[in-house]
Amino acid sequence: MSDKISEVLQNQRHQAVFPIVGVDHCSWLLKYDFAEVVHDGEKIARVLEYGYRLYDYDMVLVFLDPYVEAEAMGCELEFKPYPRIKAQSKGSGCTNRTKEIIKAARILKHNVQVPVFVSIKGPFSLASFLAGTEDFLKILLTGEREVLKYLEKALEFQISYLNRLLKLDVHIFIGDPMASASVISPNLFRKFAFEPLGLLIKNINRAGLIAGLHICGETLPLIPILDELKADILSIEDIKPKAKTLKMGGVSTTTILSGSVEKIKNEVKDALKEDRLILATSCDVPAETNPDNLKTMIKTARGLSV
Amino acid sequence: MSGGTLNYDALKKAIVEFEADKVKNIVNKMLAANSGPEEIMGKGLIPGMKEVGRLFSEKVYFVPEVLLASEAFYAGFDIVGPLIKKKSRPGKGKVVIGVVQGDIHDIGKNIVKVMLEASGYEVIDLGKDVPTGRFISAVREEKPEILALSSLMTTTMMNMEEVIKILKEKNLRDDIRVIVGGAPVNEEFARKIGADGYGEDAFSALKLVEKFCVR
Repeated sequence: MSDKISEVLQNQRHQAVFPIVGVDHCSWLLKYDFAEVVHDGEKIARVLEYGYRLYDYDMVLVFLDPYVEAEAMGCELEFKPYPRIKAQSKGSGCTNRTKEIIKAARILKHNVQVPVFVSIKGPFSLASFLAGTEDFLKILLTGEREVLKYLEKALEFQISYLNRLLKLDVHIFIGDPMASASVISPNLFRKFAFEPLGLLIKNINRAGLIAGLHICGETLPLIPILDELKADILSIEDIKPKAKTLKMGGVSTTTILSGSVEKIKNEVKDALKEDRLILATSCDVPAETNPDNLKTMIKTARGLSV
Repeated sequence: MSGGTLNYDALKKAIVEFEADKVKNIVNKMLAANSGPEEIMGKGLIPGMKEVGRLFSEKVYFVPEVLLASEAFYAGFDIVGPLIKKKSRPGKGKVVIGVVQGDIHDIGKNIVKVMLEASGYEVIDLGKDVPTGRFISAVREEKPEILALSSLMTTTMMNMEEVIKILKEKNLRDDIRVIVGGAPVNEEFARKIGADGYGEDAFSALKLVEKFCVR
């Protein structure tokens, strides 16, 4: 078992590498049908293990799509051409893929030699999916009680889901894209997103596992607040600003999708000027990303010739 | 009630403070007092949204504030817009806008739309999850100066390139300017896929349109 992530966290190593590769890219590599894979724990594990063996990165992340929990709580999804919420309420019955994720995480724990993380949604983003994102953003300013109701529901679900995951001894990455400062003000973050995130992070830390937090887009005005959350890893788009929490990122998703070899190498080298870093893409890599670009990123980080 | 300076300030303030009902009342009273719809638009509604734009650029306002201010703007625009259209005065330019196929995140696109309409542009809104062919037929039929494409997801951003590629294949590319925006997009990506410009947010998108739509 190689755990470079923990070594970086414990200051025993400067860097580890993980381009944020999820099920969609790995399914695409294997020409598997994404919609089919995300409903089958064994297939989820198989494609993620394939990606890990192909690229040889330092952790594996069980990430399907952002709507797993929203679907389990009653939203209706469609998967083609891309996963999205079709309706806020399905009417009858819920599709619960969390058990498939648990199955996949269990298989991966056994099969791979690096730490396994499972991605869950931050309660703020989950609440926004349940309410409908535009409506949710409006009621942040006009209907505090309603917001709190959605948040309470989202948090209750996530605590129970998290407890099931922690029993597997897997690490957790919380993604909270709607809590980005590209969307809401630091004041609204503090008011609505902070406390539920803090609760989840405390639970993860209490279990002795690693808590990562991913926020997309603008994060600069949020960094002091994010530091207060005491996550172990902070995955953000712009890693230049100083943070107390170990940062993860450094290579733009656009660069990994369509940049030249030189551009990828330069971004990696720039990012590695940080004292300690989990070198990663700024967000999850698009499905159709050229594998050579990911290999360039990883090889450059490892100091190998490309 | 007259359409005096004080009332235009009140109208502007009602937009900045998200008071849609108040906007509607003020606009109706102004029309009843014989204020022209263009004047209401130019002195009250547009300055209101411009102030919202300024507050957004300075990071005083964020997306929730802009959404509520947009609702207040439309409470007035929906009354005066048709009156202005009736007089069929030429607009400043025509923009076809939409979120590319596979992507249903349209908050950013809607904010761009409101800023463009508030600034006097005619906007043909194709909505979200728009198939490539729909963009092509809209360009052919509407003959806009600008095609504005939006994508919020890394999974769908390549569909912007697809639209530009087909425009070229159909010999439509040279007639229009294509601008792109959305969370995963940046200047470099815009150049790479052959777009004419990248709008970092709704307000820089408006500046691009102003630059490209000089008549």
